[in-house]
Amino acid sequence: MGLIKWARTKSPWLLHFNSGGCAGCDIEVVAASNPKFDIERFGMLLKGSPRHSDILVLTGPITFQIKDRLERIYNQMPEPKFVIAIGSCPISGGVYRGCYSVHEGADKVVPVDVYVPGCPPKPEAIIDGIIKVLKNYKEATP
Amino acid sequence: MSSLFREHRDIIERLKKEIGSESLIGYEIPRPRRIWFSVRKEKLVDAITHLVGEGFVHLSTITGLEGENGLEVIYHLNRKGLEASLKVEVPIKQPVLPTITSIIPGAILYEREVHELLGVVFSGHPNLSPLILPEDWPEGVYPLRKKWTNEEIKKKLLKGS
Amino acid sequence: MSSIIKIPFGPQHPSFKEPENFMFKVDGEYVVDVTPRIGYAHRGIEKALEDRTYILDLYLVERICGICSQAHTTCYTQAVEEALKVDVPPRAKYIRTIVAELERIHNHYYWLGIVAHEIGFETLFMYTWRDREIVMDLLELLSGNRVQYAMNMIGGVRRDITPEISSEIMKGVKVLGERMEYYKKICSNERTVLTRSVNVGILKTKDAISLCAVGPTLRASNVKRDVRADDPYAAYDEIPFHAVTYDGCDIASRIATRCDEVIESVEIIRYALGHLPTGSIEVIVSRLVPSAEIVSRVEAPRGENMHYLKSNGTDKPERYKVRAPTLANLTALCKMLIGGYIADIPVVIAGIDPCFCCMDRLTFVDVNNDKSWGWKGEKLRRYGIKWYKKQ
Repeated sequence: MGLIKWARTKSPWLLHFNSGGCAGCDIEVVAASNPKFDIERFGMLLKGSPRHSDILVLTGPITFQIKDRLERIYNQMPEPKFVIAIGSCPISGGVYRGCYSVHEGADKVVPVDVYVPGCPPKPEAIIDGIIKVLKNYKEATP
Repeated sequence: MSSLFREHRDIIERLKKEIGSESLIGYEIPRPRRIWFSVRKEKLVDAITHLVGEGFVHLSTITGLEGENGLEVIYHLNRKGLEASLKVEVPIKQPVLPTITSIIPGAILYEREVHELLGVVFSGHPNLSPLILPEDWPEGVYPLRKKWTNEEIKKKLLKGS
Repeated sequence: MSSIIKIPFGPQHPSFKEPENFMFKVDGEYVVDVTPRIGYAHRGIEKALEDRTYILDLYLVERICGICSQAHTTCYTQAVEEALKVDVPPRAKYIRTIVAELERIHNHYYWLGIVAHEIGFETLFMYTWRDREIVMDLLELLSGNRVQYAMNMIGGVRRDITPEISSEIMKGVKVLGERMEYYKKICSNERTVLTRSVNVGILKTKDAISLCAVGPTLRASNVKRDVRADDPYAAYDEIPFHAVTYDGCDIASRIATRCDEVIESVEIIRYALGHLPTGSIEVIVSRLVPSAEIVSRVEAPRGENMHYLKSNGTDKPERYKVRAPTLANLTALCKMLIGGYIADIPVVIAGIDPCFCCMDRLTFVDVNNDKSWGWKGEKLRRYGIKWYKKQ
């Protein structure tokens, strides 16, 4: 495994984006960076800028108003980039399925690599999801 | 209990005296700390001014809905836990009401919300621009009106795109 | 002649966990005008509530907001129960109160961490968020979930408090109360916190009243208004407590108000657990709700939460309106920001404890996405952070 790939898998930087959700999953994502769950021991940091991030942590159903901004943020991220959908809302619309101001699934807007179901999923599940992304990346390309 | 309701009844009597009994269309005291009034829209500003003078300075919100006879706008005023809800009806073809932002500045965003979602025009409001709907929302589509169901709105937007 | 620059702020921004946008007009270091643009979290909830039955609506109302979920469901179930003319058993009222106060403690710890993070006091941020885990564990023990507890149902509560759970809660809240005393001492003595919070974000009493602010924002401007005391619901008419007010009208007062509220909440929980009535925790109610118009109010952690229900005799509501506290504080927020420094913007916005997902509930569609609107968020966000660090 090359040096760059090693660096990427050992220290992925996350961009957390709430696309119109109830903030339940967001609490769990930021709780994951707390001393109790501590994703920093995996080298993960919650960064503020899309241009510095490897993984987009997406929560919330994608509302029509925010779809534009989500696409822009995704395009601003450098390759290789991954998207993790946290919670039931970006998977299928969640409890808002049927509301017409909501896309029923984030994969209609951006390509998603890992889905973490739950309403909200626990921080341990979120960490597991991120590790799965890294594992796939490590095993996929030489 | 009867002394508690006396306070509510006194408020109603004083409002009746202020705006005239023909303008106070109806009132109800369903339980302690809740009063409901129905007034004619011509006397809206007088009624609100009077209630603010009585101590109902806090406006919880303004609710808009479509009733059987037109659009109903309800002003929820509050005084130390006593909630007075003032209902006004406007015809759906000409939904115009005077603004109350000169009496209660905090009403500014609530009136904008009712304007956007129901189509009521508050004359004299400093800024009725969209608050929550996008700038390119089609004209005349008021989501809270009964005729604009989920399916109708989706159809209209797909036609527009 | 000084020039006016417009700075957009959001919707993606590292300080805010939720999307929203503010357009600031600045003149040198001072903010001259601010235009909020909300609506990114619009999901069409009020319209959706009319299409679903009351039982399904309970799940939707809970997910208006992740942090005030108990407040929204309490308000909802109270409204429906009042329309049904049923009285909930006393034990259920006490359990609702206990969960509501645990949620208040959770919210205020979370908020204190966010404000500390905005100020740059990362240690306090990490400490408060570590302590928040205690209350989240208690809520998980009580309800099965850390967030979205689903404790309320129409007619009562879903789960009971056993003596073992009760003793765990007593132990947990004792620690939380002691820690909050310590953080309050820090926030009133630490120079870093005081420089960033005293005389920042001023909201005078008369402005707070005329702009209809609610919650701790209002109480920190010396207005004693608290729905739990003025318009008691659940078990608050039987539990003695004080509504906390401070008269500084600035962020330091808001911090002090919330610290004291946590300490009061600890006392309320202790009293409620000590005086928990026996009996059932639910009553069976009819599916069809008779015609009525109900206004229901609760004191959410952020302020007054108001719901209006119009029922029509069927099993679906005719109209349901939700007014969450952040919308009430938005006009007051704009007043606080004008005249202040750019560097204070994140702290002042965080100071009202914004919950934009609570605010943006209604129908909101944008199929046409060719709207180009000056979102230079990236570059100007970095400018905002750099400026903030220089102060």
